[in-house]
Amino acid sequence: MNQRLRRVLGVCLAAAWCLPAAGAETGTLLRNADLKAKPFLDADTLVKLPERAPVEVLSRQGPWMQVRHQGKQGYVRMLQVRLDLSDTALARAPAAASPGGISRPSGGAPTVTTGVRGFDEQALMNAEPAPEQFKLMVGYAATAEQAAQFAQTTPLTARTVPYYDTAGKPIKGGK
Amino acid sequence: MNLRTLSMAACVVALCGCQGGQGLEGMQIAGLDVGALSKNLGGLREIKEPEEIQMGQGVAETLLGASPVASDPELQRYVNTVGRWVAQQSERPALPWHFVVNDSDVVNAAATPGGNIIVTKGMLRSLRNEAELAGVLGHEIAHVVRKHHLNAIRKGAFVGLLAQGAQVAASGSQSAELVNALVGPTKELYARGLDKSDEYEADRMGIVLAARAGYDAWGLPNAIQTLATIKPDDNAVKLLFKTHPSPSSRLEQLATVMGSDFDAYASGAQNSERYLRVTQRVRLALQ
Repeated sequence: MNQRLRRVLGVCLAAAWCLPAAGAETGTLLRNADLKAKPFLDADTLVKLPERAPVEVLSRQGPWMQVRHQGKQGYVRMLQVRLDLSDTALARAPAAASPGGISRPSGGAPTVTTGVRGFDEQALMNAEPAPEQFKLMVGYAATAEQAAQFAQTTPLTARTVPYYDTAGKPIKGGK
Repeated sequence: MNLRTLSMAACVVALCGCQGGQGLEGMQIAGLDVGALSKNLGGLREIKEPEEIQMGQGVAETLLGASPVASDPELQRYVNTVGRWVAQQSERPALPWHFVVNDSDVVNAAATPGGNIIVTKGMLRSLRNEAELAGVLGHEIAHVVRKHHLNAIRKGAFVGLLAQGAQVAASGSQSAELVNALVGPTKELYARGLDKSDEYEADRMGIVLAARAGYDAWGLPNAIQTLATIKPDDNAVKLLFKTHPSPSSRLEQLATVMGSDFDAYASGAQNSERYLRVTQRVRLALQ
């Protein structure tokens, strides 16, 4: 392999490393944030990221989002990130599905290409009561026992957590 | 006096939430003095649970008239089980909770009095895992627990209900007719939305209900963060955005509420694999 080709290849690889993978979610920092080495408040800060820094979202756990910025990987609080418009969940649905499909115009946010069916304001205002649909709904109900069994096998462990008021203070007397 | 007529008129009075007959002085329904009745039956102002459940059925029938039940039994049972488990963590575990996925590509979810929760296929498509589903259902369950819609119907439907209630009472007062009398107010309420403070409260309670159920408490904030990526004028979110505070305002409040206290609940389950498997059909085809 000659020197020039090797250099071109090197540049391409470097670019690929910095660019988000196809289909990856990307976002922008809402404010200055510490990129943490681990998903803990007292973890080491790898680098201080400025407001509006672009990040690639790798995973989520609790309040933390694992992100990559300019090749550096670490954790920021998920509420410090605004996801980019082009990465909506709607876009995750295959674009091939149509009619009523979702398309993603180049460079823009995904849009619904045809009228969206049902449960919009017009459908609501034109709705006639559908008792037979309610019967169907009731037929799918799960009992408290079935729910408890589901939680046991998952497992989902019930915890005691109080409700919180608007100021973020726990409300006494809740579960 | 016809007992049914009496109970119907009492129901109308109760629904109106009038204080001791104020505003009802001299008002007659089917020959009854509603003002006097209201004073005598003041205790009925608080709607009893059976009435709430019956009203909720009527509201749900109207909402399902806008978009029917999606034909995916496995998905329906799954959403019902997750929903029921979250509802069991609430202060109203004994309600007859029903959950349903409706056949709509719109991104939305709704609750009715009495414990009926509707979530759209479009909403399921926008979520990443079971913790996000639990958060969204927790928000809707909170509306039921706090009787947000019930109270809004009582407040908002005063005039309309009185007029329609008079007809119902005059016609022999079948309880089903009371439900029919709610069709108009139901449509108005769900097209207009609740008070914003009710929505914020449902967010604050939704994260707690999901956390109590053993889920990652950040499911709801993650789901709202996704909503923020959809253009507000997109048909898929028009109604949801019209009836709720903006996603950024909701996230700001949740940031205040969750602070660092909720870090204790970060270890909850997400169950991504199961969620993606059960919702696969919804993702693969916009039928």
